[in-house]
Amino acid sequence: MRKFSLVEFSVDYPKAVVAILMVITMLFMTQFTKIKTDTNPKNMLPAASDVRVWNDEVEKTFNLYEDTLVVGVVNEKGILNSDTLGKIQRITGEILRLKGVAATDVSSFTTIDNIEVENDALRVSTLMTALPKNDIEIEHLRKMLFENPLFVNRIISKDGKTAAIYIPLQKGANGKEIADAIRQIVKKEGGGEKYYIAGDPVARDTFGVDMFKLMGILAPIAGMVMFLVRYLMFRDMFLSMALMMDAMISIVWSMGLLIGLGFPIHIMSSMAPVFLMAIATDSMHIFNEFYFRYKETGNKRLAIIETMAAVSKPVRSTALATAAGFAVLLFMNIVPVQVFGGLVAFGTIILRVLSFTFVPAMFALVKEEKLKKISQTEEADLGKTSQFLKKLAGVGMRRPAETVIVGLIFFVAAIVGVTKITVNNNLVEWFKKGSEVRAADTVINQALGGTATGYIVATAKEDDYIKTPAAMRYIEGLQRRLETLPVVGKTMSVVDYVKRINRVLHNDDTSYDVVPERKDIIGQYLFLFSMSAKPSDLDNVVDYPFRRANLWVQLKTWDAGAMRDVIKAVEEYKKANPSPMEIKPSGIAYFNMVWNDEVVGDMVKGFVIALVVVFIILAYNFHSIKWAVVGYTPLLFTILLIYGVVGFVGKDFDMPISVLSCLSLGMAVDFAIHFVSRFRQRFKESGDLNETLLWTAARPGKGIVRNAILFASAFSVMLFAPLTPYISVGAFIVTMMMLSSLLTILYLPALIVLTKDWLLKGGNGESEQSV
Amino acid sequence: MRWIIIVLSLMVFPVTGFAQSGDEVIKKSQDAFFYPGKDFKARVMMKLIGKGGQERIRELTMLRKNYGEAGGEQKIFMYFFQPTDVKDMTFMVYKYPARDDDRWLFVPAINMVRRIAAQDKSSSFAGSDFTYEDVSGRDIQDDAHAVTKEEAFNNRDCYVIKSTPKAGDMNYDYKLSWIDKGNYLPLKEEYYNKKGELDRLYTSDEIKEVKGFPTITKRTMKNHQSGHTTEVKYLSVDYNIDIDDSLFSERYLRQPLKKWTE
Repeated sequence: MRKFSLVEFSVDYPKAVVAILMVITMLFMTQFTKIKTDTNPKNMLPAASDVRVWNDEVEKTFNLYEDTLVVGVVNEKGILNSDTLGKIQRITGEILRLKGVAATDVSSFTTIDNIEVENDALRVSTLMTALPKNDIEIEHLRKMLFENPLFVNRIISKDGKTAAIYIPLQKGANGKEIADAIRQIVKKEGGGEKYYIAGDPVARDTFGVDMFKLMGILAPIAGMVMFLVRYLMFRDMFLSMALMMDAMISIVWSMGLLIGLGFPIHIMSSMAPVFLMAIATDSMHIFNEFYFRYKETGNKRLAIIETMAAVSKPVRSTALATAAGFAVLLFMNIVPVQVFGGLVAFGTIILRVLSFTFVPAMFALVKEEKLKKISQTEEADLGKTSQFLKKLAGVGMRRPAETVIVGLIFFVAAIVGVTKITVNNNLVEWFKKGSEVRAADTVINQALGGTATGYIVATAKEDDYIKTPAAMRYIEGLQRRLETLPVVGKTMSVVDYVKRINRVLHNDDTSYDVVPERKDIIGQYLFLFSMSAKPSDLDNVVDYPFRRANLWVQLKTWDAGAMRDVIKAVEEYKKANPSPMEIKPSGIAYFNMVWNDEVVGDMVKGFVIALVVVFIILAYNFHSIKWAVVGYTPLLFTILLIYGVVGFVGKDFDMPISVLSCLSLGMAVDFAIHFVSRFRQRFKESGDLNETLLWTAARPGKGIVRNAILFASAFSVMLFAPLTPYISVGAFIVTMMMLSSLLTILYLPALIVLTKDWLLKGGNGESEQSV
Repeated sequence: MRWIIIVLSLMVFPVTGFAQSGDEVIKKSQDAFFYPGKDFKARVMMKLIGKGGQERIRELTMLRKNYGEAGGEQKIFMYFFQPTDVKDMTFMVYKYPARDDDRWLFVPAINMVRRIAAQDKSSSFAGSDFTYEDVSGRDIQDDAHAVTKEEAFNNRDCYVIKSTPKAGDMNYDYKLSWIDKGNYLPLKEEYYNKKGELDRLYTSDEIKEVKGFPTITKRTMKNHQSGHTTEVKYLSVDYNIDIDDSLFSERYLRQPLKKWTE
């Protein structure tokens, strides 16, 4: 009964309540200045997670950079002409001056180390120390490039039409800013060359910027759309404004709290305002009911209090269910998903508190004549929507068996679709086809080794083992094995350097392009190389005590499956070739695979928890397991249908979609709760099954459909976003809302009619209603 | 008459308000740093320290002989003790002022002497943060040297010289050197990259007098961009020990005499 006093208080002191809420809102608003975003996929998993600890160790051991940009220079007539080479030289020079670029380790024609024999002398220097002046020098450069496996497919494509510059970034550098600066640099060059900038940091940081923009654009547009739809629905400015403010308050509170606590905004939480706006529409049921009641009684205060009494139970339960659905996300392993779950759960609770304070206060503040006018239009029996809903429910009631059988057919089809789902998170594909980021990635992946990097780390049991011919041959064999995979574009290891030195020391004799047969030879070759080359050349491929070697694997796709293929090939190689070395994967591609798998695990776990929690809430709310089962059915069916379609369409099942699987349960369950509670209330009063069902479909049903339309309209805005996760989330929610509301109104009557003997007369059903 | 000389000298040295020009200071500094004595021998311990604290050791004996006056030709011989698998490896440099050095390396495992093209003096010496130039000296005329100020560093009065490479393709933009006014040894050097950030930092950590020659016996080069550091210690230093000219030959490169290497 405590809630009722809160309602009465709000009705009696509406101005004070609204004023207090506004002050609190202002306080939360002050936090917004501290906003920051985080789109680093690394932060999907906690810093202490095994994969991150291991990746950090590997980065440290081999002095690797976390982030590398790739600039592709394409000249259809071939790169090797003094004009294009001059451009590469100038561009590289300017890139070296950019802040945030780890200049010492940029790999380009003018910075990469090359070992060659020249007039009997060994020469270690940068590949292109000076611009070739004539054809002879260009031919010499061509020979250097194509004879050295360290260069082909890395800094030059096999066809000689694409050159690459690899730009490692210092910690904390912004990939998008550097990419933008490079775009400015290449713009100055002109000519027939095309330039492409790719790599994880560009995708990630561009995504961050776009995301920030989207949050600023999508949320207000969604708000406006909902405002408009609501106005068209009710022709009621007051209601539209009240609901809008209701949503805004909860958004400001929850986002303010999130930012105030120091959490960065990531992809999921950037969608939170739209979610909260949609969840806020649940208050519609209060308005819906209020207008009916007000029309019946004509007394505003009484109507408010009666309304709150009638809807408080379902409204509280739905809020609980929704909050629970989101709170389930707190149990997940993916950090941004946890944060998002907590954020929306908090916002949902705030929304419900507002339902019992802010909303009644607003009712109290609005002028009576206005209300009278509005409530005139509300007529359950005559409204077109209500008529349609009655017909829909009628189908389910008259032909329950057929309805259920048709459902079953769809059910089976959906299950087939679900089995076809492939889980994949590909950051680059989060951009639309044709976007600059995605196009650049495609071009570079086609021409060169690939933009995604994975590492295979071999660890021996003793120091200096890597210098043994056995270790060298083992790694070399593994490289050749991996290069047979279609996803692998290029591999690189310390062995490539050793073979190169062996060949060059023996006057470029190709028969020496092999691993030397003695450990001391290998050791001295490596020392010789380290005498002149950049320290990073060796550091990146072997550790200091020569106990560990790092094999670079360039992948042609950011798909999580690519690294899985590599690991599988490594396992097979290990089985066929026993070695005292331990072989472990690492790198960003490996990380992506790990968190991708976490997404699957989380999804299954979250879905199961959500199923149980929502069922318990339903059972508790209905005081009946039977009713819970019945209320559950349309909900499950909706989700299954959507996933079936996802499977059939072949859309990647990525993190946002998997998160939705849990949420959708919590959100769609609202409809069942409203329908079933109101049905049972009415049935207790009238005892006429058919009449009650039709009434429920028409009156609360109208609220359900309005709720669904509003919800869907908010999310439909996301369909126009330039980033695919927003589109898929939008499409998912729009479909789910429309489907689940219609299925609730079609299937619940059918199921109730079919199981009425069991449901209504079997002990539990009615006796409980007195509880 | 005196005022004419003053006016003339002001015309010749219009901007330097200092007693010496940058070129003069650097010349004296290089003489003190790279050319003291007739010849020189040291047991060198080099510690290469990675960003994560990993260490690599290089241990070698370095022998150096001057031909002609300071700043002239020099021959350098290095014999490696560590890492163990490069024991007996030797390295020899004929250094010429104002032209490319000649370098040879002996690879004992395949019993091969190879001449090494000395193209890039700014490349790393033996995988350390020092470059070949840092070890053997950079040609004075390759840079424009200017005295920017005089200040005390570690309680020693110093000239601060800004050296800007005349060719634009160096891997640093300019260098600031703190040169001791007393013994002309560099106490600190800061290399700035083209972004204007500190790239490498050199410090002389210990200076001892050996046979009357002030000698830097401990030095550190820290690469601020890569986080990599190299510490060098001279375990034993000697001057004027009459090194034979014959040491600097292919024969001894393959098989150096113990009396010189130990």
